[in-house]
Amino acid sequence: MKKPAKAKSTDGLWPLRFTLNGRKVSAKVQPTQTLLDFLRVEMGLTGTKGACLEGECGSCYVLVDGKPMNSCLMLAPQVQDRKVTTIEGFAHNQKLDVIQRKFVECGAVQCGYCTPGLVVAAKALLAENPHPTREQFLVGMEGNICRCTGYSQILRACKLAADEMGLKKK
Amino acid sequence: MSRLTDTLQEKVAQLHTATKSSSAYESGPTKVVGQSAQRLDAVGKATGATKYGQDLFDKKFLFAKVLRAAHPHAEILGVDTREAKKLPGVVAVLAHQDVAGTNLHGLIRRDQEVLCSRKVRYRGDAIAVVVAKTEEIAIEALTKIRVDYKPLPSVLTMEDALKPDAPKIHAEGNVLGEKHLRKGDAPKAMREADVVVEDMIQTQTVDHAFLDIEAGRARYDGKRLTIEVSGQWLHEERRLIALALGLPLEKLRIIQPATGGAFGGREDISIQIYLGLAALKLKGKTICLRYSRSESMVARHKRHPIRVHYKLGAKKDGTLVAAQITFYVDKGAYASTGIAVMRKASSHATGPYKVPNVWVDVIGVFTNNNPCGAMRGFGAAQTAIAYEGLMDRLAAKLGMDKTELRMKNLIHSGDAVTTGQIVPHATGQECFEAVLKKIDWKNRSYETGAPHLKRGYGVSVICFGLGYGDGFPDASRARCKLTADGTVEVYSSAADVGQGLMNMIAQIVAEEVGVPLERVRPIIGDTELTPESGSTSATRQTYFTGSAVQLAASELKKQLQDIAASHLEELVYEIKIENGEAYNVFHPKKRMTLPELAREGKRRGYSLEAMGVYKPPTMPENTQTGQSMRAFVTYLFGSHACQVLVDTETGEVKVERYIACHDVGKAINPDQVIGQIRGGVTQGIGMVLMEEVVMKDGRIMNPGFTDYILPTIRDVPEIECIVMENPDPGGPFGARGIGEPPLIACGPAVMSAIYDAIGKPVRTLPATPERVWRTISED
Repeated sequence: MKKPAKAKSTDGLWPLRFTLNGRKVSAKVQPTQTLLDFLRVEMGLTGTKGACLEGECGSCYVLVDGKPMNSCLMLAPQVQDRKVTTIEGFAHNQKLDVIQRKFVECGAVQCGYCTPGLVVAAKALLAENPHPTREQFLVGMEGNICRCTGYSQILRACKLAADEMGLKKK
Repeated sequence: MSRLTDTLQEKVAQLHTATKSSSAYESGPTKVVGQSAQRLDAVGKATGATKYGQDLFDKKFLFAKVLRAAHPHAEILGVDTREAKKLPGVVAVLAHQDVAGTNLHGLIRRDQEVLCSRKVRYRGDAIAVVVAKTEEIAIEALTKIRVDYKPLPSVLTMEDALKPDAPKIHAEGNVLGEKHLRKGDAPKAMREADVVVEDMIQTQTVDHAFLDIEAGRARYDGKRLTIEVSGQWLHEERRLIALALGLPLEKLRIIQPATGGAFGGREDISIQIYLGLAALKLKGKTICLRYSRSESMVARHKRHPIRVHYKLGAKKDGTLVAAQITFYVDKGAYASTGIAVMRKASSHATGPYKVPNVWVDVIGVFTNNNPCGAMRGFGAAQTAIAYEGLMDRLAAKLGMDKTELRMKNLIHSGDAVTTGQIVPHATGQECFEAVLKKIDWKNRSYETGAPHLKRGYGVSVICFGLGYGDGFPDASRARCKLTADGTVEVYSSAADVGQGLMNMIAQIVAEEVGVPLERVRPIIGDTELTPESGSTSATRQTYFTGSAVQLAASELKKQLQDIAASHLEELVYEIKIENGEAYNVFHPKKRMTLPELAREGKRRGYSLEAMGVYKPPTMPENTQTGQSMRAFVTYLFGSHACQVLVDTETGEVKVERYIACHDVGKAINPDQVIGQIRGGVTQGIGMVLMEEVVMKDGRIMNPGFTDYILPTIRDVPEIECIVMENPDPGGPFGARGIGEPPLIACGPAVMSAIYDAIGKPVRTLPATPERVWRTISED
């Protein structure tokens, strides 16, 4: 774990440099601000959602150096010199990431509030393990609460995404 | 000659096709309706672009916070806001004196103050609203408000509330109301019954736990107050807010942002009214307000905990003869939709079973707990757990297979439900047979390979009255419009809370008018633009708004056919609209595109808009007997079967297999129907196995997802769905609805399986490992 940025200024704000969705960002942050609030309020990236605000539901997942992290439980200065990817960093030039596309196609999106967090969780899981077993999928996705779908379609979307990603590599 | 006859016959056949009405029964297979078309809002949601209430915030706006009661029951002697107002950054501190209207709200009975003036009745009651430059300052200012209370003894259980000397929560006493049903002579029939079973079942307080916490913004520009907050019935919310804040209706506009789940939890007014109040006081400023998760749980109404005393009598052969049922319903502090929930419990008290003698009494009791109101299932969910539980006990006592007992007593088409309403098309048996076949009931295996693991199989059959019913004027309105570029717009105020309403209306319009789905644009949820469509509740939007939309689309289509007939100089009944083009069925080369129709219609002064209103009547239930010829517009049937594994050492229950069958009339979008079934079952599993709002001294002890346990991907198997389609004459393309029934049927099926596994009933919900283990362990 890298050290958080240190206070230099007198206005109580800390300087923060990190990579956000592939772009270098310099900002000044309240050291007590959560990463979730920082991304949503200061960076204007509202795709990351807050729902339980205590690390139970995964709606606020972002990738920090490729790992899914509850941004509601992290403070903004903790991402100093690290790479953060939010849901806004997934689609490129209107082209959806394969996981997003499968979510859309499989009816895995209902109210949609949990969807960004689930897509992030699936991305991290498949990056680490391109061919998860059912049990490995459950381990990878059990940190996310969805109140609408009943999960079956989500699981199916993730499996189909894994299949398609596997085919591309071959 | 023969060729000529052939051609003539062909022409007659074609003509017949062209003039057919577009009702579900006469037209051929549908093209858009019945397709699992991709959700229109899915890409926005999957990319994070969709804006929910909290996504409308900006740092330059003002932030509001609400002060909640410090006691469950107390008189307010005074509210001192002076210190709070002095805090730098505070813009306003508002108390009850600042509310210009009635200061009251409530969906059925307006008994709840927006900001309490003299008394608080539960810990979620609001006393003051702070507006500040930042949320942090607003939160700090709350701590500076001094409220002088005179605590009153709090009434936390129904027993205490019903004691003669109990402190009165409301001036009129602690009983909200009663509901009675009298059919035949139940006590006499019970005495004469060969077998009688009796039990008490206690359901728990349940939270909606939608993920998208209450959040939104409001602004008053001096002429109009605009509130952007997710609700379930925009027009009724507008009316209640206008009354409470003393504002003419036409000065208030409500816009629905994208909505992250609702499940009945957005039916009662929440933050809209505080936002409206603050915005009116601070003209020209945009005010934001969001709850924290704990505030959301503390403030919002809940699913009613109900104690059911159920007595069921039958003949030796299993024929049901009598039921006597008493429901004690913990209302919490305010009426909310409680009266309607109580009525639903009463009218569904014996579910889909024929019982000739039924007496039901429902008593709604005020306590100083959270108010209880609408939640998916609405009184029918608790009731189904009770009647299906008793059917299982009866089967055990009779030594009968529980599926046989159910088969024997199910109502069939032409039979009446408990209210006396005849159901023309009852398909409970068909649904039941389908799930039994799928789970292979006769060959079910109890083999677990370990003595401490017990397997059990559960079943349930339910019926559900759709819509408000009871003579209440229940209506939906919709408007269809052809724009200059050839898009068909459909306007409705019905809320899409994730269930897929937008697709439902767009697919119906595309089908009805004869255009591709991508040429239809739904415009929903804005009181300024969209007509009143009733609430997104009671499983009613497919049936009601779907029908209104179909009527509007059908009328628009006729107008477009007129335009084409005039322009092409053809007979109007020879004009067909298909795939976005109008053409003569005999001269397909004579055709017009949608933009051409719009242009030509405008030139000729034809209307390019049409309205649809759907308002099927119902009749009130008799106040003494609960009987009504048409208490609900229609009934839905469904059946579930499941397999569970109980660890008798830990009490843990694992749902291993789950099958759900529902007769939806017609699946407008099958994927979305399956989504509703699986989601409902998952909430049902949550309700019976883990979810419980724990109250102590009127305080919620688990106001967060760390301690309020929700089902994860690990807690549910892949739910196998059977979608049955027996068309309903009143619904669009025969469709009924699907919102609530999957949850209602799930609870009893899981409880039935646990009973099967351990041989004893768990009487108090949820069936947590501890409760299951205690049930197994007790003598």
